[in-house]
Amino acid sequence: MSYLNKAALRSKTGFWPNNRGTIIGVTLLAVVILIVPFTATPAMMNIAVFSLIFALPAIGLSLLMGLAGQVSLGQAAFFAIGAYTHAILLQKFEMPGLVAAVGGVVAAMLAALLVGLPMLRLRGHYLALATLGLGFIVMIAVREWEFTGRTTGIYGYGRPEVFGVPIDNNGLFFWFVAPFVLLGLVLALNLTRSRAGRALSAVNDSELAAESLGVNTYALRVKVFTLSAGFAGLGGVFYAYQVQIVSPQVAEFHVSVELLLMVVIGGLGSVWGAIAGAFIVELLSEGLRDLIPAIIPGATGEVQLIGYGLVLILVIILLPGGLYQVVKTAWAAITSRIAARRADATGPAGAAALPGGAADGGTGEAPTRAFGGLPGEGRSGSDANDVAATSDDDAEGSAPVPTVSTPVAAGTPILEVRGLTKRYGGVVAVDDVTLTVPAGQIMGLIGPNGAGKTTCFNMITGAIAPTSGTVSFLGSEIQGRKPHVGAEAGLTRTFQNLQVFSSTDVLGNVYMGRYRKGRAGILRGMLGLQGREQYRHEEIARDILETMQLGDVSGLAAGDLPFGRQRMMEVCRALASEPALLLLDEPMAGLSGREREMLATLLRRLRDAGLTIVLVEHDVAQVMALADSVAVLDDGVLIAHGDPESVRNDPAVIVAYLGTDAEEAEAELKELEEHA
Amino acid sequence: MTDFLQLTVAGLSQGSVYALLAVGLIATYTVRHVVNIAQGDYATLAGLGSISLVTAGVPLPVAILIALVSVTLASVLIERLVISRVKNLTTLVSIILTLGVSTLLQAIMLLVWGAEAKRLPAFPGSDLNLGGVSIRSQELWMLGALVVVGGGVLLFYEKTRWGKALRASAEQPVAARIVGISPAAASIIAFAIAGFVGAAAGVVSSPIYLSIWSGGLLLGLKGFVAAVLGGLVSFRAAIVGALLLGIIESYVAGYVASGWKDAVAFFILIIVLIIRPAGLVLRPNAVRV
Repeated sequence: MSYLNKAALRSKTGFWPNNRGTIIGVTLLAVVILIVPFTATPAMMNIAVFSLIFALPAIGLSLLMGLAGQVSLGQAAFFAIGAYTHAILLQKFEMPGLVAAVGGVVAAMLAALLVGLPMLRLRGHYLALATLGLGFIVMIAVREWEFTGRTTGIYGYGRPEVFGVPIDNNGLFFWFVAPFVLLGLVLALNLTRSRAGRALSAVNDSELAAESLGVNTYALRVKVFTLSAGFAGLGGVFYAYQVQIVSPQVAEFHVSVELLLMVVIGGLGSVWGAIAGAFIVELLSEGLRDLIPAIIPGATGEVQLIGYGLVLILVIILLPGGLYQVVKTAWAAITSRIAARRADATGPAGAAALPGGAADGGTGEAPTRAFGGLPGEGRSGSDANDVAATSDDDAEGSAPVPTVSTPVAAGTPILEVRGLTKRYGGVVAVDDVTLTVPAGQIMGLIGPNGAGKTTCFNMITGAIAPTSGTVSFLGSEIQGRKPHVGAEAGLTRTFQNLQVFSSTDVLGNVYMGRYRKGRAGILRGMLGLQGREQYRHEEIARDILETMQLGDVSGLAAGDLPFGRQRMMEVCRALASEPALLLLDEPMAGLSGREREMLATLLRRLRDAGLTIVLVEHDVAQVMALADSVAVLDDGVLIAHGDPESVRNDPAVIVAYLGTDAEEAEAELKELEEHA
Repeated sequence: MTDFLQLTVAGLSQGSVYALLAVGLIATYTVRHVVNIAQGDYATLAGLGSISLVTAGVPLPVAILIALVSVTLASVLIERLVISRVKNLTTLVSIILTLGVSTLLQAIMLLVWGAEAKRLPAFPGSDLNLGGVSIRSQELWMLGALVVVGGGVLLFYEKTRWGKALRASAEQPVAARIVGISPAAASIIAFAIAGFVGAAAGVVSSPIYLSIWSGGLLLGLKGFVAAVLGGLVSFRAAIVGALLLGIIESYVAGYVASGWKDAVAFFILIIVLIIRPAGLVLRPNAVRV
């Protein structure tokens, strides 16, 4: 999936929306749509109508590819299901147009839900090929089924009527489709900026990190897949109306290729791009149908395919981000030039502040920069700065810590691990580990390299499933479940190898930590009814950054931070979810001495506030100084567990670290002591 | 019973085509992690090319030889001009990319050879009749091609130093480079093999199953279904899977309805993918944490 991210999500985006861009864009498009029928030639009008019809499934596909990070090669299947259902309801059951249309959309969505539930468990290319197979199955089914009219298809139903006015020419039909395309566009754009859209964008950056913050990737993907099919179904409904006959052609593979091409040309995952792509592909198709027979006499059939093939190859090789990338790059060049000129005028002081925000200040649309916009309008960060000012004064001492949740009283078990075992073939990585973590403590998990610490961690958080044993968190068993299950209950983690969401800024990363605390679903997101909620969580995320002294970099792309600050940002992100149990995987690694001290102080203060912390760490001295209890793993076996002092003197632990047998180790120690 | 055996024979011969294409797909997947949607188009390209040569008066064996060599070169050319041009080619992008290649190849074939299906003359040999079950000599040629070409590729990959090195270059590009295999060379060889195997499938099947510009996609996808049955890595499992697929298709065509034949492969694909996805994934791209 990484390609999709890199190509389309490369934008280093600020947190703030650019709704004005969307409003201007949609208004402009509406105006164009209004005047097109007055000015276009009949041939152009025909192309324009089909562009709008195909824009709907293309928008759906762009959501699927951009948001859910899934490629479907069978989008035509849902387009066809919508078209057939609509035509059959009209012709065989003589239903009113509106009912038939709703039927078409619902049928497509139901079909998608049905096949999506099992298929979306598949990864990347397997899903792509499964959808391709689905496309063929639908095509063959409608071709062979008596009910769908076999090869002749369904025909003989009426044209639509609106308030008694029959929609019987291309101009009227264009206006008939247009409102739905505009509405679809706005809903899709809203979705990319919603809580769900941001979560999916985060999933594309790091699925594991997103799930560890409570994102149920699978459920979201199923929803987007279904929604995408709904768009395709609606397109199919209009298609059935326009061509007045629905035959197996509509389900053919090259329709899916055409839709894929629209999205690829437009820029993977860009909703505006999908609409532009639809128009370009329709234009290309009509142009080639005229052009090629003129060049090569006697050429008939699907000659436009030559253009599809060429364009698809060229775009992927030369322009992987599609039109969206072109527009974005051009816009960035323009704005930076303007900014430079302005900076010249105001002097060098202004110039220094620009690079962070100038590039994306006004790109207007940002479908896959899912962190690019909130429905609310601009607000300066002034009150957040006030917080920073106060917290700076007492950074080391009694500065406030982010809120933590304390579901159980200190001292009572919050996490219980029993008989946890992981085997890889004949190798036992973790062998029968049993541990209890009391609430309100810091527990250190140490051990030599390859002792199974991280494996243990991954089993507790749900990143991998244990071979046997149980993990119960707050009384409910979570072993073998996905990481979001534990995360929803208040168990979250950081990562040894950083897992930052690189497509957004620091604030966007920490905001994702708030995911668990949000409620808005896909529907609310699409309708743009979650501004207040997002605003509130964004505020909290900003406060956390200020508290943790990262406020100054909140607008920077997360990947641009120095390593140590990225690590701190991950801790902030985890804390933003107000966890009850925080698991830190080698949090000290790569930090400078001062940063280590800061982190240690913070962890103590968090513990004092009631948070339970488990940390895996290489730095034994740090753990001994920090932890209330220490567990030692060696070769997958828990060899010691107790307070730091007793663990330090445990012969078995000494052996594990020095690699000799107990007596030798003791002798060596004694010798060392004597020398001292 | 005769019907049953007759359908089985037909299924085996069709399955041998799928098997050859599956071998080609695995050849490129193991080395490059590319799912080559254009694999089936190699077959139609070779079929149509050899038909033109034979029509022009070229003797059949020579025509076949030229077709095999040209398609092999075409596959290498595609690797150089298209596949190798994309940096960080993921499998998913490779599908979109080779879909473009496949579409382009089909359109070229449509323009050059027209929309009608064409047939290559049958290879020499006489048909057999075993207890009422007739076996066409061409069907034996097809199975023979699978044994010789498919078996050859299998032995090359599994037994020779070069073949093992090719596989290694996919798993460990750096290590492979150290022992002297450049990833570029490995990729070229893999695509040459894929082109040759695809072309062989195309020429041996053309006398019975005809060659048509648009036919390659479906053929290639069925080869892919077989390759998935082999976990995208095992030639043997894929060949067995391909023959089974051919036979099942043949029964469906004979006992159910011929129109549904083509849907079978995709039902199998989806069911296999869903029931045993983990077993099919060669190296799950687990993130190290």
